[in-house]
Amino acid sequence: MSNENSEQIARQTRNSFFQKMIQHENATMFFVLVLIIVIVFFVDFFSSGMVLSKAKFLSGLNISNVMLQVAVTGIMALGITLVMLMGDIDLSIGWMMCFVGTTSAYLLRNFGWSGWMIILAGVVISVFFQLLMGFIISRTKLESFIISLGFMSIYRGFTYLVTNGREITLGGNFKFLGKTSIKLTPTFKLYTPVLIFIILAILLWLIMKYTKFGRRIYAVGGNEKAAFLSGINVMNFKLMVFGISGLFMAIASMTQLSRLGTGNPLMGQGKEIDVIAAVVVGGTALSGGKGNIWGTVIGVILLGIISNALNILGVNPHYQYIMKGLLIILSVLVGYYSSVRKNNVKS
Amino acid sequence: MKNNLILEMKGIQKAFPGVKVFDNFNFDLIKGEVHCICGENGAGKSTLIKMLSGAYLPDKGTIALDEEVILNNTPRLAMGKGIQTIYQEHNLYPLLNVVNNLFAGNEMTNGILLDSKGMIDKTLEILDFLHSEISPFDIVGDLGSGAQKTVEIARALIQKSKILILDEPTSSFSKKEIDFLLNIIKKLSKEGLSIIYISHHLDEVFVIADRVTVIRDGEKVNTYLIEDLDEHKLINDMVGRDVSSFYKRDEAEISDVFYKADNISGNGVTDVSLFVRKGELLGISGMVGSGRTELAELLFGVKEMNQGEIQINGKEVNIDTPLDAIANRMCFITEDRQSTGLFLDHSLVRNTVIASYAKSTSPFVLPSDDVKISEKYIRQMNVITPSVFQKAMYLSGGNQQKVVLAKWFATDCDLFIFDEPTRGIDVGAKEEIYKIMTELLRKGKSIIMISSDMPELIAMSDRVLVMRNGRIVVTIEKSEINEENILQHSIGGSE
Repeated sequence: MSNENSEQIARQTRNSFFQKMIQHENATMFFVLVLIIVIVFFVDFFSSGMVLSKAKFLSGLNISNVMLQVAVTGIMALGITLVMLMGDIDLSIGWMMCFVGTTSAYLLRNFGWSGWMIILAGVVISVFFQLLMGFIISRTKLESFIISLGFMSIYRGFTYLVTNGREITLGGNFKFLGKTSIKLTPTFKLYTPVLIFIILAILLWLIMKYTKFGRRIYAVGGNEKAAFLSGINVMNFKLMVFGISGLFMAIASMTQLSRLGTGNPLMGQGKEIDVIAAVVVGGTALSGGKGNIWGTVIGVILLGIISNALNILGVNPHYQYIMKGLLIILSVLVGYYSSVRKNNVKS
Repeated sequence: MKNNLILEMKGIQKAFPGVKVFDNFNFDLIKGEVHCICGENGAGKSTLIKMLSGAYLPDKGTIALDEEVILNNTPRLAMGKGIQTIYQEHNLYPLLNVVNNLFAGNEMTNGILLDSKGMIDKTLEILDFLHSEISPFDIVGDLGSGAQKTVEIARALIQKSKILILDEPTSSFSKKEIDFLLNIIKKLSKEGLSIIYISHHLDEVFVIADRVTVIRDGEKVNTYLIEDLDEHKLINDMVGRDVSSFYKRDEAEISDVFYKADNISGNGVTDVSLFVRKGELLGISGMVGSGRTELAELLFGVKEMNQGEIQINGKEVNIDTPLDAIANRMCFITEDRQSTGLFLDHSLVRNTVIASYAKSTSPFVLPSDDVKISEKYIRQMNVITPSVFQKAMYLSGGNQQKVVLAKWFATDCDLFIFDEPTRGIDVGAKEEIYKIMTELLRKGKSIIMISSDMPELIAMSDRVLVMRNGRIVVTIEKSEINEENILQHSIGGSE
């Protein structure tokens, strides 16, 4: 009996590559992404008179622009993926970006701090406040939804206090994080924010795969009590995850600041919606314990491509919000029905 | 006599997957009597109540109320017919006041408006009848345990009541509250209400019962008039299984003391001292609510210890968190594997390796190593699964329990604390788990096993500690371990 059983285990372990691919948890969303790219490409191709050189969607220029547009959202989404895998949520990130970005701009403008110094300041501020929030959430077990909503309002107030509601321009300084790029082909440029996003995604993927931290985050999100009994200091773990998320928020804020060239008090307003939407579309469960980094990357790109496609096809920008909303609902429904189907098959 | 019966159960049969609980069970209740039901943990008392209250349907047999057979019983139907059940846990709306609790879902109305005055008057009348000092406007959550139980009784009385079923109503009550409740019950039965009363506490039984029915493994042993019964007879009836049917375990060599706790208190446990040797299985017995699980939580650092000292291998250690416990080579197989043992939505790989991470200092892991470790222990435990990548939720109860064991085996620990190791597991898997435990003992590991399953406790234990009200009342040595002895101390007979 045990022999038969172990053979069975061994057989299942060596699944074919193709089987593994379609069973992968990101398979559905990846397929949707490819499908949308193909559809948009053909619509664009036909509407530009079937001349390939006139089609804009898959041109190098457009691709580099889409990538640039999603990069900052993407960096934030990576951090929030960690928080959401743990079963928490953070609504404060949009206004935190406004606060951190404008404060850094203020330091550069009024105190003549250098680029590196304001990056350091951004990291310190952002990590400090995320740790503070993480401390409250992990020690009291209060809902992160409501605590982060409170912090959101606090950051909003801070932002207006720092800026008086006006932009703080950088006067042409601090360009290297957002405005530089590497020219790969005559039309395709790899912008620095995109490069940062790609590097962070790979780094986080490696961390999730090869460290205890990466494994434990699923355990805490999957069953907090069992995680505690399995020797995880859940309180400190949560604190640490919020700290790391703060680091990602700092990088995103500074990149956004550099890209815009000005500390706009509304620079991150509403970003939390885009970010959480991308993470959810990427398959991370709000209840925690389920999802992964590549899912988030797919979600970010998918949302970016949809807005871009609607732009290119000349759709009224007001429809974009509606499309985005429908996509979020649709992707959650797909996730729901595929899990229902799986459960039915198994039992 | 026959005309006096308000309730009659005939030829009741009820089975759950893998276990037959009731087989041809008969029971009757006379109008206006207090009928106590006694039996060990798992004798079938709860199942019996649930069939009366409509939560379960019997597979066979009839339940007749006033000579009218109740078909397709549901909780709503049973309540409508006047069978009111008060369960062990409070079943109230803690944020509402007494009046709103009494009439929730059953409001008195004038046309479409609520008849507040009518409801308040009725509440006052009933509270007065019960001689209770509760105000109709008290918020229920602020009341003590005893007062909340009174509110539940009042709620049952407001509805049409012929039969009142009380399941362990006095757990976590003070002496005064118990006396108050018993008085109410006597009064109600004098008013003609028939009462089924379930309790572990023999002293309560002898105070209020008119008749007593003893059940054991889903069979009625006997029904007595209270005058014909004494404690000895009662306990004798509750025990008395055929010992030859018990699992037979191989002996293991017992050597030095591995773990020792001195006068520990906290988490509802008072002044407990215990030790367990290498190769020894220490059984912990006691009725539900006696503080057994609370003790295990204390030992494993899940809950804070207020005082006391713990020694492992003769050295004093601090165990403040489960992490400390794991570092000291302990593990804890909890009672409720689904909510505290497993990550149901995760693969067996993740489930098996997670606790072993606590043992190494390097922050890195290799996914391929995880799979190897997982396969090794999943195979060793003989878990039936198509692959280690299967989600834990798709396994049967017995296999899930083996996955929890695999998780702890991967940490290579020396002291295993089992809380109800075989609850909800079929007979075959049970034996496998006993074999695994025996093998552990043979290797010189120590086991502390909490169990409500009497045959298991007797078959497996080298020593048994009996707990009551958060304290250890007695240590029973191997030669003295038998059902009668354990039960007598658990329910506090003859002292």
